[in-house]
Amino acid sequence: MTPDPIPLRSASTLECRNCGAGAPVDEHFCPQCNRILALGRYGDFFAFLGVPRKLSLDPQDLERRFRDLSRKFHPDYFYNAAPAERLASLERSSYLNDAYRTLRNPAARIEHLLAIEGLPPAKSDEGSVKVPPALLEEVFALNEELDEIRELRESGGDEAQLRARLDRARAPIERKRDEHERRIQELSARYDSQADASPAQRKNTLEALREQLLEQKYISNLLATIEHEQSQITNSKSQMNHG
Amino acid sequence: MGKVVGIDLGTTNSLVAYVKDGRPVVIRDDSGDGLVPSVVSVGAGGTIFVGREAQRRLLTEPGSTVYSVKRFMGRGIEDVHEDASLFPFSVGGEKGGVVRIGIAGREFTPPEISAFVLRELKRRAEDHFREEGEFDFEVDRAVITVPAYFNDAQRTATRDAGRLAGLEVLRIINEPTAASLAYGLDKRNRGTIAVYDLGGGTFDISILKVEDGVFQVLATNGDTHLGGDDIDRLLVEGVLDEIAGSAPRNPAYETEGEGRVPRSGPAALIQAIRKAVIQAKLDLSEVEEAEIRVESTTGLPAGYSRRMTRADFERIIMPLVERTLGPCRQALADAGLEAKDIDEAVLVGGSTRIPLVRRVVEELFGRKPHSDLNPDEVVALGAAVQADILISGRREMLLLDVTPLSLGIETMGGVMSKIILRNSTIPASGREMFTSFADNQTAVDVHVLQGERELASDCRSLARFRLRGIPPMPAGMPRIEVRFQIDANGILSVSARELRTSIEQTIEVKPSYGLTDQEVERMLIDSFEHAEADFEARLLIEARNEAETVILATEKALRRSDFEQIAAESLDPGERAQIESALGDARRVIADDDREQIQQKTEALNQATRHLAEVVMNRSVREALAGKNVKDV
Repeated sequence: MTPDPIPLRSASTLECRNCGAGAPVDEHFCPQCNRILALGRYGDFFAFLGVPRKLSLDPQDLERRFRDLSRKFHPDYFYNAAPAERLASLERSSYLNDAYRTLRNPAARIEHLLAIEGLPPAKSDEGSVKVPPALLEEVFALNEELDEIRELRESGGDEAQLRARLDRARAPIERKRDEHERRIQELSARYDSQADASPAQRKNTLEALREQLLEQKYISNLLATIEHEQSQITNSKSQMNHG
Repeated sequence: MGKVVGIDLGTTNSLVAYVKDGRPVVIRDDSGDGLVPSVVSVGAGGTIFVGREAQRRLLTEPGSTVYSVKRFMGRGIEDVHEDASLFPFSVGGEKGGVVRIGIAGREFTPPEISAFVLRELKRRAEDHFREEGEFDFEVDRAVITVPAYFNDAQRTATRDAGRLAGLEVLRIINEPTAASLAYGLDKRNRGTIAVYDLGGGTFDISILKVEDGVFQVLATNGDTHLGGDDIDRLLVEGVLDEIAGSAPRNPAYETEGEGRVPRSGPAALIQAIRKAVIQAKLDLSEVEEAEIRVESTTGLPAGYSRRMTRADFERIIMPLVERTLGPCRQALADAGLEAKDIDEAVLVGGSTRIPLVRRVVEELFGRKPHSDLNPDEVVALGAAVQADILISGRREMLLLDVTPLSLGIETMGGVMSKIILRNSTIPASGREMFTSFADNQTAVDVHVLQGERELASDCRSLARFRLRGIPPMPAGMPRIEVRFQIDANGILSVSARELRTSIEQTIEVKPSYGLTDQEVERMLIDSFEHAEADFEARLLIEARNEAETVILATEKALRRSDFEQIAAESLDPGERAQIESALGDARRVIADDDREQIQQKTEALNQATRHLAEVVMNRSVREALAGKNVKDV
């Protein structure tokens, strides 16, 4: 996260540009004059939406908060306001949209948590370059099978047969995905229950989550590759029909 | 402060609406017509014609009449090359720059052409408010709609058109979202809605979630190059094909590529064919069989006629209709939904009147789509609602739209690096860090892109800019934060700061396919210079409308079943001949650009028919009274 551009009075308060009063950094409106405040800091979506820093969040509650805040910040309602307030509305709305988009998605939520807890991001390109050791076996088998399917397709192999093979190749990958999904849920629950645990223990959980996330991304890429091959089969079929 | 309106600036037709007593209404002309054809024609002496009048000139002055200009908004010549050859007006411009349209010896950019249409709508609205007895009738602000899938350049071009027309553009909103707002007015219920919008030139699909008056777009997709125009083009090509196949080779047809595909012909012929196929297309939404009939014209002395069944028609257009399915599926997937999760499907755009389109939508979503509101008008109504929300500050309803395409920058190796993902709720912002590659480097070039493809060259180039004034430092030391902000219009702005020094960087954004502010200023000045010619055009149109009204009334009287009786009983000898001669005179001059002639002949026809009108009126009154008596008895 980059440093914020707004002059903070201290680490926890910011200054209202309208009346000069100090406001807690996570307030949206000045407690003194009620004007919308310039965005105080970047970084903590949980605090911004007013939810606890946990990995299990009630999606309905999240959505309701998003709608309520949208109704407070949206530029539609600041059309006739002073330029500084218009800017604040634009910034807060943009940030709100980003926050909701991130927290709504469980994987993105974990990544955000990793970032604000100071862990390196689970970058996807990291995963695609190096096969995670836990997946070596599956990846090897899949690549071999995909090569053969491709060859068959290019030489005009039977479509139904190709599809069946592709489905068979997909099954173990999907099993892995489900396995990871369960593991991530377990780790998330563990993190949420570690509120009183030592920082080292929490960090351990986060490290494990990061590992799982990387592998999960790798698995998604594999599934996308299978998806792509499937559409290739469909394409070559429709080309034959129209040609 | 003047009045605020909502405008649907369409490929084929445009409309203006406003909120009256809490309800949106379309502003119509005297004949009750709400549509202004998005057609602009330049007459002798630089007179500008817009709307119905310009549409008539498509046949008589095809080379100086522009239609479907929306297809060129925010585009470069290389994007529209394929289309351009079928348009009878000249489409040019430098490679990598704005398209220029040449008509009647003048050159216009697409925003300028659109501004003529907007000015016409503004005038129509002002006339309406004046007639309503409003003291403050000037229209100075508007919400204008665009296809949801319009990119930044196309949105900016639309906003420029508004400025050129003397309108402050309060907001650019997406057409399907506007439609959902109009639909959602009465039913404040919750649910997931799919808006399928197939217009004249563009296709959009938007998936929305409506709850507590918040209209949140979950995903949008589309094709800015798919609509009724393409159907027309397919049909025109089919007709040209048949003509070329049956007649001896006409040098006017150029053949391109392999096969016999006539790509162009004399402008007047193309327009005549286009008019004929459009009529057949409209007919085929009502009846099972229609005729495509082209009268004898330049390049086609024998004329052309062919019957077409709805089944034929559907077979021809099926590939186009099927092209809408991919975007629908993608939008559903992006929204994380399946077709069965959609509670309501809504149809928008004139092309959704085609029965095949309705069937396909029904099949896709497994439910009968809604079309209770006029699909031509619903977008303008929604725009009016949004305009009202903006100026009134009322908070019961809120539109949360998304950006249709990912935004990013070109990075090493010509790869597109995404900063704001497609279907992000707007406003949205993103940040990216830059640094220098050489010691004491004081500037960095940034190339902004929009699109989903991996390679920068496959994405839309939005702008290039240079970050200047970086403090001299060793390579890699500066930390320049570039902030990308997409506002609620879906339009991008960029700012940058060097973080170590907090120095705000100057950015000069050169839009790849847009106009610079200076260009817009210059065009504004130009448009004032042409205001007089525009005023003259206005008077001519009014004279022509007046003439048309009198001609139609006369023809109607002459066609009365009891006309012979009236003539024998009440008209003077020779009076009938006088009327017919005056009628002929008026018909002859109506298409000319000579306003005084038109006014003279109209007045003469008025004089000649005064007596007849009295006689007819008296008869009607007598008949009405007689009828009443009978009833009363």
